[in-house]
Amino acid sequence: MSRCSTKSRHLPRASRLLTVRVVAMLLALGLSSLSVAQGAHDTFKALLSSVQEVRGGVVDNDQGDAEADAIPFASEASTSRFLSQATFGATQSDLSTLVGTSVSDWLLQQFNEDASDYLATLDSYQAQLPFLLRNPWNQQATTFAFWRHSIKGNDQLRQRMVFALSQILVISNIDGGALTDYPEAVAYHQSLLTEFGFGNYRDLLEAMTYSPGMGFYLTYMGNEKEDPETGRQPDENYAREILQLFTMGLVALNDDGTLASSINGDNGSTELYDNDDITGLAKVFTGLDRSVTRAESQNNPEAPEVLRSWRESMVVYPAKHAQSAKTFLGLTIPENTSAADSITLALDQLMSVASVGPFLSRQLIQRFTTSNPSAGYISRVTQVFNDGRYTLPNGIAVGDGRRGDLKATIAAILLDTENLAPEAPNTFGKLREPVLRFTQWARAFNAGTVTPEYTLELYDLSSVSTYGQGLAQHPFRAPSVFNFYRPGYVPPGTDSGAAAMTVPELQIVTAETIPAYMNFITFFAMADMQSADLSIYREIGGLTGVDFDPELARTSFLPDYSTEENLADDLPELFAHLNLLLAGGALSQEAVDSFIDVVAGVPAEAGDDDWRATRVGLAVALVMTSADYLVAY
Amino acid sequence: MTHFLNRRGFLSSGLGCLGSLAMASFTSPLKAQDNDDYRALVLLFQFGGVDCHDVVIPYGVGEYNEYANIRSDLLSVYGDDRARSSLLQLASSGASAAFALPPELSGMKSLFDEGAAALVGNVGPLVEPTNRDSFAAGGVTLPPRLFSHNDQQSLWQSSSPEGASVGWGGLFSDLLIAQGISTLSDFSALTTARDRLFVTGYETAPYVASAGGLSLDLSNIVNRQTDGSLAAVYQMLRAQGESAAHILTRDLAGSTVSAFDANLEYSAILSEAPDLGVAFRADPVGTQLERVAKIIASRQEFGVNRQVFLVGAYGYDTHSAQHTSLPNLHSRLDAGVSAFSASMKNMGTFDRVTLATASDFGRTLADNGDGTDHGWGGHQFVVGGAVNGGSLYGDIPPPSFEHSQDAGRGRLIPTIAVDQYAASLGRWLGLDDDSLAQALPNLGNFSSNPLANLLL
Repeated sequence: MSRCSTKSRHLPRASRLLTVRVVAMLLALGLSSLSVAQGAHDTFKALLSSVQEVRGGVVDNDQGDAEADAIPFASEASTSRFLSQATFGATQSDLSTLVGTSVSDWLLQQFNEDASDYLATLDSYQAQLPFLLRNPWNQQATTFAFWRHSIKGNDQLRQRMVFALSQILVISNIDGGALTDYPEAVAYHQSLLTEFGFGNYRDLLEAMTYSPGMGFYLTYMGNEKEDPETGRQPDENYAREILQLFTMGLVALNDDGTLASSINGDNGSTELYDNDDITGLAKVFTGLDRSVTRAESQNNPEAPEVLRSWRESMVVYPAKHAQSAKTFLGLTIPENTSAADSITLALDQLMSVASVGPFLSRQLIQRFTTSNPSAGYISRVTQVFNDGRYTLPNGIAVGDGRRGDLKATIAAILLDTENLAPEAPNTFGKLREPVLRFTQWARAFNAGTVTPEYTLELYDLSSVSTYGQGLAQHPFRAPSVFNFYRPGYVPPGTDSGAAAMTVPELQIVTAETIPAYMNFITFFAMADMQSADLSIYREIGGLTGVDFDPELARTSFLPDYSTEENLADDLPELFAHLNLLLAGGALSQEAVDSFIDVVAGVPAEAGDDDWRATRVGLAVALVMTSADYLVAY
Repeated sequence: MTHFLNRRGFLSSGLGCLGSLAMASFTSPLKAQDNDDYRALVLLFQFGGVDCHDVVIPYGVGEYNEYANIRSDLLSVYGDDRARSSLLQLASSGASAAFALPPELSGMKSLFDEGAAALVGNVGPLVEPTNRDSFAAGGVTLPPRLFSHNDQQSLWQSSSPEGASVGWGGLFSDLLIAQGISTLSDFSALTTARDRLFVTGYETAPYVASAGGLSLDLSNIVNRQTDGSLAAVYQMLRAQGESAAHILTRDLAGSTVSAFDANLEYSAILSEAPDLGVAFRADPVGTQLERVAKIIASRQEFGVNRQVFLVGAYGYDTHSAQHTSLPNLHSRLDAGVSAFSASMKNMGTFDRVTLATASDFGRTLADNGDGTDHGWGGHQFVVGGAVNGGSLYGDIPPPSFEHSQDAGRGRLIPTIAVDQYAASLGRWLGLDDDSLAQALPNLGNFSSNPLANLLL
């Protein structure tokens, strides 16, 4: 292992010295009681950009990159910012323990953390249920598992990768049907994303191809070879989407994500394949089905072997696999090649296309750090994706050197200079994803019991509920294989749209979803579960067959505001604290002033501490619905 | 294939597109009653790509048998619903070719028979006229990214693949304003779908018309718990929307403020909306169309005389189990459009509102066992009192392969461009040729106009 790859980020010597001073200053700032007016975040950014100005030259660096190693955790503000990118949100103890530590150490620790176990969590829910089919707890179990793992799991970075990949390799139980009735399928999908999230993308694709959840969702489960007698043709769904959405997109890309120019096609771009490639590739994905097929399952849909068939690889039925030659993307798989061999050859061929690196790198960057990454950023991450190796600032290399290594890729995304010190800070960053706002809240305030089964407000976040709540985003429940929003979405009628920026998350910001999110987060921020109407909880209880006490709903996700309540009589301090914890110091003074104006309207009453809780709840709701918070940069 | 003569076709048959343009702009003031010069276009988009070969089905015995033979695997699981005897034959004016709708579309059949619905055959994105030979030879410019859902949805709505920022519905609104026919309002262009592209213009911003539940819990809490209000926060947001340093902060704050403003007005108006006197089904299509009907019923209060709506029907990507899903989707659409038409008739706006269907693409004529795959052209309905209905415009290619409009496996190469389809709707709204050319970049590549008489 080389101690220092030439690909690690290098700073000129002068800049390194400056950075050391900057870090020292930031540490001092972080420890002092910083006024909001100063804006830890702004200060941090200003100092970093002064570092940025003297950067530029590349020098040999035999000692790793101690400065870069220190930047993410230089201050409480920077720690909060970095953890909002790399985890499901900073906890208060993260802020006190990580400041001043090495990001390389943290990444290595995260890479080695035991993985959350989705199938085991499903088992633990099912063990409580007297029956499974159409049981609301069973149908929701994979969502419950997601909240438990994302909020309480120690494998935070891995689970962020799972969530990011779940928005590329989409399956969804939004439609009801088998993926709702058999949560085994989604749980198995989640377990594959978990297993391969720090593995290799090529291996993930192969596991996914055999996954019954994907087979069902993209309709190639039970797909049969062509039949010249009847004219039947293989289902083209998976063949099309594995190219368009899971590997390379439609048009040829340069390594920096820009369109590879050509003399034909739309706007000078080159389409990577045509319909003949699709029909050729479609033959590869024939002959796969569950170990117990649909026909065999119908009489006893809850039989153990039926349930098991949804949580293990599909198997090959050789008689149904196309025996003819399969031609696509310049490859011909000869006739009479087995399904397994055909899949191996096909996936190798797909992964060999140059566009795969920039296509996936750009989307992964969008899920972690910024909506509209520069060509340079994409190019650097693509390079790492293609090399399969990345040298951390402490000189330790991660990744096994195979193209598509996801550990190397995520490290490259998080530690890229564009993320650590954006050159154009006013266009860098992204809207926080709605699901991540909620997990951040739950982690920041150490929500007492993470028991989503007792929190009906979390059962369906896809659409706006009768209570006027919703997120337009529900984990593992996208409206279609095209996810909640498109990576190429350019928001019409906005400044970012006019600047031709892609801003995927703005696609789900509407006159309907804006108040729906506000109402959703207000419910939790104000700890409204304490006064919720329990009649529906009782109804759900009746449907599950579980002997549960609806009163538990009162404590499910109950926030612990003890630290904040102590600050309720000092509103500038309260907001300085929330600013660091939730917004990485990004709240403007104008925003804070307007919030103080509202919260100060709650009278402080002697002898009764309810006002403290009310002030804190309002303060949290105001911060978490503010534009300054919602834009993470 | 036959272009059915239509009932009222003679009125403008000799005038071509200029004729219908003149009629549109000339007749609008005459139609106005009580200063009500209102017209609305509702685009009902069937997301996922509706199987065109399951919407218009050949009915001549020979053609039907050919169709049933090609689709034998699929029809065997459909059961009796696709037997020739179950189909609803469309009245034809003695033409040789006969077509039918599936039994789930009985309401559409009634609308067709009464002359209030027309079918437009084989319409889809085209840059210029294209057929099997030119498609294979590569001698024509093709629409980009054919057969891909998101891109073809985008092309249908905007003439550009994914990433497009304006759709022709929104542009129509912009241009109607520019022509002085309409005025800019928060409610010029509305969507009840998950998508907005179609109703987004340069000036026209789409309003996402929700079912309700828009009251803000936070402001209730503030009002109840404090002696302050959210006024300061609101002012701060408004300022941020104009001048925040970060571009996304500006966009988000701006969107939030406009959403608040529009939601207040929308909720206030809709809470007073008159009873429609029609029961809509409580399914995803029925609830959207009911909302659109309520908005139209309140058009005076909204203060607009032109509106463009996008309604989304989802779930049409029937690669698998088509026989269980597509009939239900047909039924939903049928019930929704029937109730919507009834409500428009009730409030006397039937001839002021035109509903047109659209979809990503049609699908293959060949099946894959229990479903069908992505195609290109498809057949669409246009419904309303202004529709010169009871007719089929354009062509329905034969139920076979390798004919002149077959791109392979029965994926139809369109004979009518989306731009032409859109132009007929735009003319009816009052747009002149210049405006149409601005909104529809490929329109000038098509010399004939098979839809000149579609709308009166």
